[in-house]
Amino acid sequence: MDWDFFVQQVVNGLTLGSVYALIALGYTMVYGILKLLNFAHGEVYMMGAFAGFGILTVFGGALEVSINVVALILMMLAVAMLGSGLLGVAIERFAYRPLRNAPRIAPLISALGVSFFLQSSALLLFGADFRSYETYEYIDLATGIHWGPLNISVVRIAVILTAFALMLALTLLVARTRLGKAMRATAFDREAAAMQGIDVDRVIVATFFIGSALAGAAGVMVGLVFYKVYHLMGFIAGLKGFTAAVVGGIGSIPGAMLGGLLIGLAEAFITGYVSSTFQDVFVFSILIVLLLLRPSGLLGKADIQKV
Amino acid sequence: MSEVEGTPEGPKIGVDEWVARHGERAGLRGGRLAPLVQQAERLPWWALLAAAVAASALIPFISSSDYVIRVAVNTVLFALLALGLNVVVGWAGLLDLGFIAFYGFGAYSYALLSSDQFDLHFPALAAVAIVIVTSALLGLLLGLPSRRLLGDYLAIVTLFFAQIYVVLATNADRIKLPWNDGPTDFTGGPNGITDIDPISILGYEFTSVRSYLWLSLGVFTVVVVALQFVNESRTGRAWRALREDPLAAELMSMPVNRLKLLAFMFGAATAGLTGAIFASLQLGVFPQNFDLPLLITVYAMVILGGAGSIPGVVIGAITINVSLELLRDPSNARALFYAAIGLGLVALVRPWRRLAVVAGATVAFGIVVYQLADAIRPAWTSGSIEGGRFSELLDGWVVHPVDSTRLGNIGFILLIVALLTLTEVRGIWRTILLVPTLYLAAFVWENRLVTEPSVTRILLLGALLVVLMSWRPQGLLGTSRVEIV
Amino acid sequence: MSAQPEQPDRILELKRISKAFGGLQVIDGLDLHVDQGEIVSVIGPNGAGKTTLFNLITGVYRPDRGEILLDGGSLLGLPPHAITQRGVARTFQTLRLFLNMTVKENVMAAAYGRTKAGVLRSMLRTPSMRREEQEISRLAEEKLAFFGERLMGYRWNQPAYSLSYANRRRLEIARATATGPRVLLLDEPAAGMNPKETQEITELIAQLRTEGGYTILVIEHDMHVVEGISDRVVALDHGIKIAEGSFDAVATDPRVVEAYLGTKAAATK
Repeated sequence: MDWDFFVQQVVNGLTLGSVYALIALGYTMVYGILKLLNFAHGEVYMMGAFAGFGILTVFGGALEVSINVVALILMMLAVAMLGSGLLGVAIERFAYRPLRNAPRIAPLISALGVSFFLQSSALLLFGADFRSYETYEYIDLATGIHWGPLNISVVRIAVILTAFALMLALTLLVARTRLGKAMRATAFDREAAAMQGIDVDRVIVATFFIGSALAGAAGVMVGLVFYKVYHLMGFIAGLKGFTAAVVGGIGSIPGAMLGGLLIGLAEAFITGYVSSTFQDVFVFSILIVLLLLRPSGLLGKADIQKV
Repeated sequence: MSEVEGTPEGPKIGVDEWVARHGERAGLRGGRLAPLVQQAERLPWWALLAAAVAASALIPFISSSDYVIRVAVNTVLFALLALGLNVVVGWAGLLDLGFIAFYGFGAYSYALLSSDQFDLHFPALAAVAIVIVTSALLGLLLGLPSRRLLGDYLAIVTLFFAQIYVVLATNADRIKLPWNDGPTDFTGGPNGITDIDPISILGYEFTSVRSYLWLSLGVFTVVVVALQFVNESRTGRAWRALREDPLAAELMSMPVNRLKLLAFMFGAATAGLTGAIFASLQLGVFPQNFDLPLLITVYAMVILGGAGSIPGVVIGAITINVSLELLRDPSNARALFYAAIGLGLVALVRPWRRLAVVAGATVAFGIVVYQLADAIRPAWTSGSIEGGRFSELLDGWVVHPVDSTRLGNIGFILLIVALLTLTEVRGIWRTILLVPTLYLAAFVWENRLVTEPSVTRILLLGALLVVLMSWRPQGLLGTSRVEIV
Repeated sequence: MSAQPEQPDRILELKRISKAFGGLQVIDGLDLHVDQGEIVSVIGPNGAGKTTLFNLITGVYRPDRGEILLDGGSLLGLPPHAITQRGVARTFQTLRLFLNMTVKENVMAAAYGRTKAGVLRSMLRTPSMRREEQEISRLAEEKLAFFGERLMGYRWNQPAYSLSYANRRRLEIARATATGPRVLLLDEPAAGMNPKETQEITELIAQLRTEGGYTILVIEHDMHVVEGISDRVVALDHGIKIAEGSFDAVATDPRVVEAYLGTKAAATK
C-alpha cells in the first residue's frame, strides 16, 4: 500500500473539497430561499478567478510581484469576493427578480442564458488562452508540512484553512446574527417572513452576495493551487458544486460543506486510482445514484408538498 | 369557433356570451402584422406546411450558390431539432439540457453503421430505422432515473449527461473490450469518424447538396405531420396537461411518469434521426459538432419561436439560423445589426417624434464624439473598419481606434452597465440615456463583436434568452400563458 | 364500534388509517366507509385532516398504517393514476384546472385512462384511433352538458382561465366525472360561492348521485350544503373521528360543537 500516494490523494481531496464546498454553499443558499438553481453560479466563480488574476497583473504579474505576498493574496481574495458578490447581485436583479412569480422553467432558462452570456463575455474580454497564476513564481512550494507520508504545500494549507474559516464565518452569520435569522426565516417560508416585517428582497440580495462572494474566493483558491484560469472553468466546477450541494442535501448549509468535501475526496481518489479522463463520468454517476436512492441528500429534509 | 347563436337584434352588451368572447375580439386589433397573422391562422395547418415546403424546395432553382442551399439544409435540420426539443420542453414542460447528446448519439450511431469504422455498410433506410429506435431507447435510459426529478434537478442531470457524452465521444477511441485483442476505437476520438456513406434509397444516391435539401424537406414533412397528429391525440393532450399541472394530471388518470418518459423518447428519437441525416450530409462526425453552444442555439430557437407551437419553433429556427449565418460575414453582420437596432427602435420608441429625436441625436452625438476623439488623439480614430457596405458612411461616425481590442473591451463593459441602467430609469432620463447607449453599442459592435462572430453569436443568444424570459416568455408565436403560482 | 360483517355494497373502506408528517400526527386510527350510492359528508375545523384524507385515498400520500379498500381491493401502493383508473376521482380545494387548455380539452384529457390509442396509432391516425377520438369528444360534451348551458357551445373552445370562479368549480367536477369513476371525492365544492350558486351546487351533487349513479364523499364547511345532501356525516378533529351519523345527530353532538366553537360553547349546550 503506497501510503504516500494515498495521503497525497487525501490532501488533494481536501483541497478540492474545500473549493467545491464553497461553490456548493452558493447553490444551496440560493436554492433554500428561492427554490431556484442558479446556473450562472459557476460563471461567477470563474469571474472571481479572473479577478484575482487581474490583481496579480496589477501588482506586477507572477514574475515581478511588487508587494508582500500575503498582502497580495489577501487583496486577490478581497477583490474577487467583492467583484463576484456584486456580479451575483446584478444577476439576481436583472435575470431572476423579474421572474419571481413566473413558472419554474423561466428562471432556469434565464439562468442558462446568463451563464452562456458570461462565458462568452469572458472569452471576448480575456481571450481563449489559459491564464496562469504561476504561484510557484512567488511562493516557494517546498515550504509546508513534510511529515512522513504527508506532503502538503503552504498554499494548500492556506486554501484549506481559509475555506474553513469562511465556512465558519458563514455558519456563525446564519446562526447568530439578525441577518442570518432573517435568511433562515425566508428560506422556511417566504411569505410568512415578509409578513413578519422582514425585507425579503434585501435578504435575497444578501444571500446572493454572500454565496457569490464565496464562489469568487473559491476561484482565487483554484487559481493559486492549480494555476490555470480560463473561460470554461466555471461550467464543470459549477456542475460538481451543484452535485456536492445535492449530495449534502440541497438547502442545508452544513450539507453543502459535507457534500463538497465528499465530492472532492471522491474525485481525488477516482482520479488517482481509477482514471482521470473519465472522472466526470464517475462523479455524474454518484449524482444519479444518490438522486435515485436518497433525493433529499445526506443532511437534507424531504420536501413535503402541500396539496 | 362557433358563431354567436344570435338573437335577431344581434348580441347584447353585457350579456354573458358577448362578454365572454371579448378575448377573441381583443386579439383582432393591435399590431401591424395582425391582419396577416389572422389570415394565416385561418388556413389549415397542412396548407401552411405544404406552402412552406414547396417554397423551400424551389430554393435550388432560385439560387445556384451551393452555400445558400447548404444554409437551407442546415436550417431544415435545425428546424427538426427544434421540433424534437419542442416535444420535451414545449409540450411536456421538461427542461432537458442533454438534448444535443441524442443528436450526437444519432450521428455517431449512423456513422458506426455506415462507414469504414467497423466496416459496416447498412442500407440507409435500415440504418436510419436502427438509429431512431436506439435513440429512443437511450432517451428511455436517461429518462428512467430522472423521471421523478423536479424541473431543476432534471435540468442539471441532463446537462451533466450532455457533458459526459462529449467526454465519451472524445475519449472512446481506446476502449478495451474483452473479446478483442487491441483497444477498440468506437468514436475516432477527437478526430471523429469520417468517410461516412452518403444516404442512398432504392438505388438513388444522395450526393449533391440540393438532393439533401429535398431529402431533409421530405423528412421534415413527415415529422411535422406525425407531431401534429400526436399533438391532437390523447397523448398530446396528456402532455399539455402534464405541463400545466403534473399532480392534477396524475390524479385525472394520466400516468405522468410514463408520459414524461415518452416525451423524452420522442425528443431523443427526433434528435437521433436528425443526427443521422447530418452525419450522412457532412460525411463525417466530430465531437465538437455536439457541444453546448449548439444546445443553447436550439433552445433559443424554441423559446424565440414559442415553445409549444409547431409553426413557432420552425420560424424560430429559420430566424436564428439565418441570422447566425449572416453574422459570419462582417458586412452582412453589420447590416443585420443596424437593421435589428432600427426595428427595435421603431417598435419600442413611440411616438414618431421621439423616435426621430433619438435617431437624430444619436447621429449628431456620434459625429461630435468622433471629431472630439480625432482632435484629442488621432490614434483613436485611425484604425480601420472592416470592409463592406456602409463602411465609408460609418468611417466618420464611429470611433475606431487602432487599439480596438482593449478599448472595445472597455466599451463592452460600459455598454452592459448602460443597458442595465436603461432598464432601471424611466421617462425623460431613459430617452436621454438611450442616445449614448446606441452610439456605444455601435462602437462595440464595429470594434469588437463584428470581428469575432463565433463568440458574438453565443453572447447574443444568451442575452436573447434572458430578455425573452423577462419580456415575452411565450416567444413570437406562442400564446401567453396563465400560470398558477 | 362493534365488529360488523363486511357489507357487500361497501364500496370504499378505510381501516385504522394513520398518517404523520414529521412530528405532527395528521390522521390517527381513522375508520371510514362509504356504501354504494351514498353521499357522505366529512366536516371538521381547519387542520382536522380532511384534505389529507382525500390525498391518502387517491394515493398522493401513503398511510403509515392501515388499509384502504375499493370494492374490497387494496389501493395501497398504487400510483395515483392507477387509483383514478380503478374508479376514484376528486376535485381540489384550491382549483387545479389545466388553465391554458380549453374547457373541452380539460374534460377530454381526463378520459385518458379510459382510452387506449397509443402514440404509434396516433401518429398514423388509424381508423380505430379516429373513432376513439370521436368517442372522447362525445363523452366530454356529455359530461359538460350535465351543467346545463353554462359550459356548452362556444364555451367549449374557450381557455379555462377565462371562466368565472363558479364555472371553474363546475368544470373541475365535469373533468373528474370524465375519468369514469364510481366514487367522487369533492373537496369543498361550494367554497367561495354565493347563496344562489351554493343552492345550485347542492342540487347538482344530488343529481350526480341520482342521474350519474356516483357514490360521493364530500368535504364541506357550509352546513346548508351538508344538511341538504348528506345521507351520513362524519366529523373529524385533529385527525380522529369524533362523531358519525345523521346531520342532526352530528350537528348537536357536544364534541363537535366543542371542536368548532370551544369548550365554553359546548358547556352551555
